[in-house]
Amino acid sequence: MNPVLRTEGLRKAFGGIVVSDNVNLSIAAGEILGLIGPNGAGKTSLFNLISGVLRPDAGSIFLNGERIDSAPLYKRARMGIARTWQNMLLFRTMTVLDNLLVGPRDYPGESVMRLAFGRGALRVAEAAMRDRAMGILGRMGLEQTASSLVVDLPFGQQKLIGLARTLMNDGPLLLLDEPMAGVEGAAYETMQRVVRQEAEAGRAVCVVEHNVSFIRDLCSRAVFMANGKILQDGTVEELIASDILTELYFGV
Amino acid sequence: MDYLVTIAVLIAIYTILATSYNLVIGYGGLSTVAHPIFFAIGAYTTGLLAVHVPFIPPLGNVVLGMAAAVVASVLLAGSALRVSGDYLLIASLGFQLGLLQLLKNLEFTGGPGGLSAIPSTIVGPMRGPIFLAICGAAALACVFAVRAIVNGPYGRAISAMRDEELAFTALGRNAMSMKIAIFAIGCGMAGGAGGLYAYYFQYLSPDQFDVLASAAILTMVVLGGMGTAFGPVVGAILLLAIPQAITFLQLPPSIMAPTQGIIFTVLVLLFLYLRPSGILGGKA
Ligand SMILES: Nc1ncnc2c1ncn2[C@@H]1O[C@H](COP(=O)(O)OP(=O)(O)OP(=O)(O)O)[C@@H](O)[C@H]1O
Ligand SMILES: [Mg+2]
Repeated sequence: MNPVLRTEGLRKAFGGIVVSDNVNLSIAAGEILGLIGPNGAGKTSLFNLISGVLRPDAGSIFLNGERIDSAPLYKRARMGIARTWQNMLLFRTMTVLDNLLVGPRDYPGESVMRLAFGRGALRVAEAAMRDRAMGILGRMGLEQTASSLVVDLPFGQQKLIGLARTLMNDGPLLLLDEPMAGVEGAAYETMQRVVRQEAEAGRAVCVVEHNVSFIRDLCSRAVFMANGKILQDGTVEELIASDILTELYFGV
Repeated sequence: MDYLVTIAVLIAIYTILATSYNLVIGYGGLSTVAHPIFFAIGAYTTGLLAVHVPFIPPLGNVVLGMAAAVVASVLLAGSALRVSGDYLLIASLGFQLGLLQLLKNLEFTGGPGGLSAIPSTIVGPMRGPIFLAICGAAALACVFAVRAIVNGPYGRAISAMRDEELAFTALGRNAMSMKIAIFAIGCGMAGGAGGLYAYYFQYLSPDQFDVLASAAILTMVVLGGMGTAFGPVVGAILLLAIPQAITFLQLPPSIMAPTQGIIFTVLVLLFLYLRPSGILGGKA
């Protein structure tokens, strides 16, 4: 089967620091890939390259077989690359619902022309978007937070809203940057369940995570990165059994 | 009576300027000082066309003035924003100063003496009230257009962009074209205000579009409440009415002139300390 995402010889350097060194990665539909590595390994940078925040120095990126590495950030989102951020980047002056409503690939409020001349169609599109947003919040048990400001929610729920906003983009690829950092209790369970459901629905998911038990519970395949290089790519069991993780997390 | 009508027309025109400036800096978060120069582009375009191309109807001239302001604003924002958001502030100042020099030195714009003898279009005893009705309607239209823009889904996108531009862009929104659109709408409104101004006063002087005008419009927006729909209206009324009220005190000119300056400065400082979000803004 053709992978949803494939990178070939991806390379990026900041001055002397190589954050992506000949990275060849592929993710299939329905798969949850774990991306593990020490701080500064280049995990977020890889997400930035794939989503279009950064331009690679060399190499290519394919989404469903189509080469996308010259498309700007906003176009890649419309092609269906949805991502979250390590530091969330929520719209902090806005309500939970409004945060979600900015997320769809085809946003009805985008054009002033439509605002002036297409108000009927705009209302219909808005209503459909609202239903979709409430549905996603419902899956997370967060409907009652819809009209709260995001900044008024507890941290774990803010992380969930970051995911919910991204899920408004119904594209084939989902990139999650440390979704579990600082999340515990009910939010942890919800996060795990929703990510699994997204993969079951056929999305290709890639999760950067330091929480090894989260990776073990969720992923079948995991990639280990350090200094911009992929050092191991295999099953989670293989990764856990290898010395790499032990060295990283237990300093042996 | 004529005098009061003139003040009211000025209030309507400055309401358009302050409201559109508020859209650009208050809602759009785009830092620019050059708003008066788009006012000037509209005013001079309309004025020159009215003088030299008699067959275009007045409304057509005003629309062409707006169009000229829109084109200039897209060129400015399109090039400056590509560098960075902060760069727009510097570029707008350079643009304003450069264009002012041009207006002062070109023969056909009337040079430093200004452009005069713009045809009246409306004559007779009702001239003032008719102009007031037109300018008042235009001002209302601007206030409600801006309100419609910032309240709906477009406004939601604008505030998301202001909050987190990177996340906004990564959701598939084109922040650059949205900024240029906001800038162009605001500057187009200023250009339209310029056209109305040219027809009413029939005379334009380059000095009235300098950085002092920038400061006056900014003060209106800040006093009334940046990022509120009706704040700029309140700001425009206050800033234009207070000096007139002071005139009624009949102070000698030597006291009069500095008094106005002092009152504005004190007002701005007071507001910055006591009510930074303006009269109509929520408590900070
Ligand atoms: N825009 C940038 N300019 C310069 N250096 C950068 C930039 N972005 C990242 N880096 C550097 O690249 C390296 C990799 O950073 P990156 O954020 O990709 O690591 P990471 O694997 O996500 O780490 P963490 O687990 O701490 O999030 C770091 O040394 C970082 O300082
Ligand atoms: Mg990171």
